[in-house]
Amino acid sequence: MPTDRSKTAPFALTRRGLGQAALAGGTATGLGLPRPARAAGKTLVVGASVFPDSLRPGISSFASSSLISQTNEALYSRDNAGQAVPGLAESHTQLDEVTTQFKLRQGVKFHDGSEFTAEDAAYTINYVINPANGYGSLARIAPVTQATVVDKYTLNLTARAVFPTILQGLSNIQIQSKAYFERVGFDGLAARPMGTGPFVFQRWVPGDRYELTANREYWGGAPKVDRLVIREIPDPGTRIASLVAGETHIIEEVPIDLIPQVESSSAAKLDEIVSSVGLILTYDVRVPPFNNPKVREAFDYAIDKEAIRRELLKGRGELLQGQLLTSNTFGFNPALKPRPFDPDRAKALLREARFNFRTPIPIATQSGKYLSDVDISNAVAGMLSNIGVNATVNVVEGGVWTQMQRAQRAGPIYMIGWYSLGDADFATVWFTEGSRRSVWKNDEYERLFVEARSTNDQAARERAYHRMMEILHAENPAMFLFGLPSLYAVNKKVTGFGAASDKILRLAAADIA
Amino acid sequence: MLAYAARRLMLLPISLFLVALVTFVVLRLTGNPVDIFLDVTSTPEQVAALTEKLHLDEPIPIQFLIFLRDLAQGDFGVSLQFNEPALSTVFQRLGGTLQLAGTGLLIAIVVGVILGLVCAVWRDRFADLAISSVAVAGQSMPSFWLGILLIQLFALKLGWLPTSGAGGWRHMILPAVTLATFLLPNIILITRASVLEMSGEQFVIAARAKGLSRLRVLLTHVLPVSLNPLLSFLGIQIGTLMGGSIITETIFAWPGVGRLMLTSISNRDVPVVEAGVLVIAVGIVLTNLAVDLLQMLIDPRIRRH
Repeated sequence: MPTDRSKTAPFALTRRGLGQAALAGGTATGLGLPRPARAAGKTLVVGASVFPDSLRPGISSFASSSLISQTNEALYSRDNAGQAVPGLAESHTQLDEVTTQFKLRQGVKFHDGSEFTAEDAAYTINYVINPANGYGSLARIAPVTQATVVDKYTLNLTARAVFPTILQGLSNIQIQSKAYFERVGFDGLAARPMGTGPFVFQRWVPGDRYELTANREYWGGAPKVDRLVIREIPDPGTRIASLVAGETHIIEEVPIDLIPQVESSSAAKLDEIVSSVGLILTYDVRVPPFNNPKVREAFDYAIDKEAIRRELLKGRGELLQGQLLTSNTFGFNPALKPRPFDPDRAKALLREARFNFRTPIPIATQSGKYLSDVDISNAVAGMLSNIGVNATVNVVEGGVWTQMQRAQRAGPIYMIGWYSLGDADFATVWFTEGSRRSVWKNDEYERLFVEARSTNDQAARERAYHRMMEILHAENPAMFLFGLPSLYAVNKKVTGFGAASDKILRLAAADIA
Repeated sequence: MLAYAARRLMLLPISLFLVALVTFVVLRLTGNPVDIFLDVTSTPEQVAALTEKLHLDEPIPIQFLIFLRDLAQGDFGVSLQFNEPALSTVFQRLGGTLQLAGTGLLIAIVVGVILGLVCAVWRDRFADLAISSVAVAGQSMPSFWLGILLIQLFALKLGWLPTSGAGGWRHMILPAVTLATFLLPNIILITRASVLEMSGEQFVIAARAKGLSRLRVLLTHVLPVSLNPLLSFLGIQIGTLMGGSIITETIFAWPGVGRLMLTSISNRDVPVVEAGVLVIAVGIVLTNLAVDLLQMLIDPRIRRH
């Protein structure tokens, strides 16, 4: 009884006509009064897997960025493939080594009707870069020392050194209205976000839902729907059920084993893209047995990664090409290939290295942190057992995991995913000493990392990253497994939505047919 | 009876003190909350600030005294995740859980007592054997699995009810039924056993001898006293119900305190965990007190002791 359901489930897809949608549109502008819960018009409902703790800006998590970017925008943003694209800034020019000038978009309005100008951008960025404010995403633009207003639509950013990834960094800094920020303070921004984005804040219910209405004045074109509801549905099975039942139109994070449920439904389809998350198994190279590079190389030969991808990821995502970076990342080295699956060679190498096969090798992983993490760990342990290695899987609780990471005592092998958001700088940093994450050290790698960070010459940067990938490939500080897919499922009536490699919901063009 | 209640209430602060002590110690035994809450890349200044905020630089006994002092003023501290008072964070989400647990409990009691009575009255007949064996089977069924089955059947196949989320009473049915099955099998079996046991008591025979009908004796004499063991059981099971609500809230995306506790524990949001555990502990202690008083009201024999 689908019609009956749509009437009674308050946020389900309504079948009311477009005429009413247009009518509602007239009242949905600006920061008007919150509209009643059962407003007319089209409501897009999204099932999110996890909510951030609050709508506080500057938390560096996908879940937080995804919600914040509905109301607030950055000077440069990213597209679904992860590339930097103009946002509130239309273009930029490099004035000198350390100064970048941004031409801002004209005629952009905040939700309260005021105009967006360089004052707002400068105020926000100067707030972010002040360490006293403890802004979460400060690290993304840490080299910036000052934002200066040149004129109403021109902004200069000065950095303490060359800052080649300034656009990627800025894409995580959501611009606030200066007047509003000054009036409500930082906590006020979390209580009621107000920006230039495609949707206008209405109601935030922690653990349940985030309700917004369309910003009819949006510079990028008014959203096609009238209302947006993002619900937190932690259980993946329930998330899929809600999509199949028509209660949600788009859901995030479809686990591999539940894909058949989506595919067997006549109402829903899968939408996927390769993310920039490289899933790897990191070795503790400080102590035996993994202080011996031969053992690390042997382990790489012992794992049939393509088979794991075929069976456990159902052929989705990509095989990392013997390096940390996914193929969609700037700096990816196309000349490298993963080592083939060769268990005999693995055994020979281990014997050569005088590897003690009785040594217990626990593989530490979290459960549900990455797509199929425990399953993949089990498969790896199984393949290691096949060549006689005493491998087990140690599933670790989140809090304990963080402690192990902090103390750099995560055991001989642990699973982790590093994301690059399109540029090698953000992923390669984790194998440098400064990251406080890596126990592997390599002088040439460190030097190249700094080199690539200190020039605006993109060709030179790319050369440096290619060489760094060669070093990683030769040294095997980790076993490079997969570029994980980002999996969404959508109702077949939904148009204008695409899976995002950075897991940000981009819904301005999404429509329900 | 009032004196008894007052005595019990006086014991409440002692229970709470013990709960507070255990929560406090366990949270600190599982590692430094600062290490867990802050990211690996956090600066030494951030670590120092949070350490000071949580008084972790003091010796543990002093920390506990500070905690008790703040507690006495109703101050649980500020949630690390939500940046708002921990107690109001807990209360914000408590309503959802109480609604769900209350409805689940009601369903479990009404359905369980009726089925238990049916079993006792038609002892060893088909209805008894059928209900008892289903109850035993139900006892061993994981309820998260039942929850998923209910969603598949009632939300997807039949389309009668929403799959998840909070909304009207229709959103409540599936999670409440799921939660009810945590207790239902035991309620049936306890009611059955207790009614059968009481049926042989002298006051029942006396009532029958006065010429009262079987049904009247059952409902007015046997059933009330039979409820006593059931009440004791429920008093103990309130904790189980809270545990069950974590699973149920997760499956049905229900915004309750169970899910809040789960995320707060894995993030080591110390103030919220402490506030949540204490609020739940107060709830459990008061429920058990209410159960004891209710038992005295129902069964005159207890009052005399």
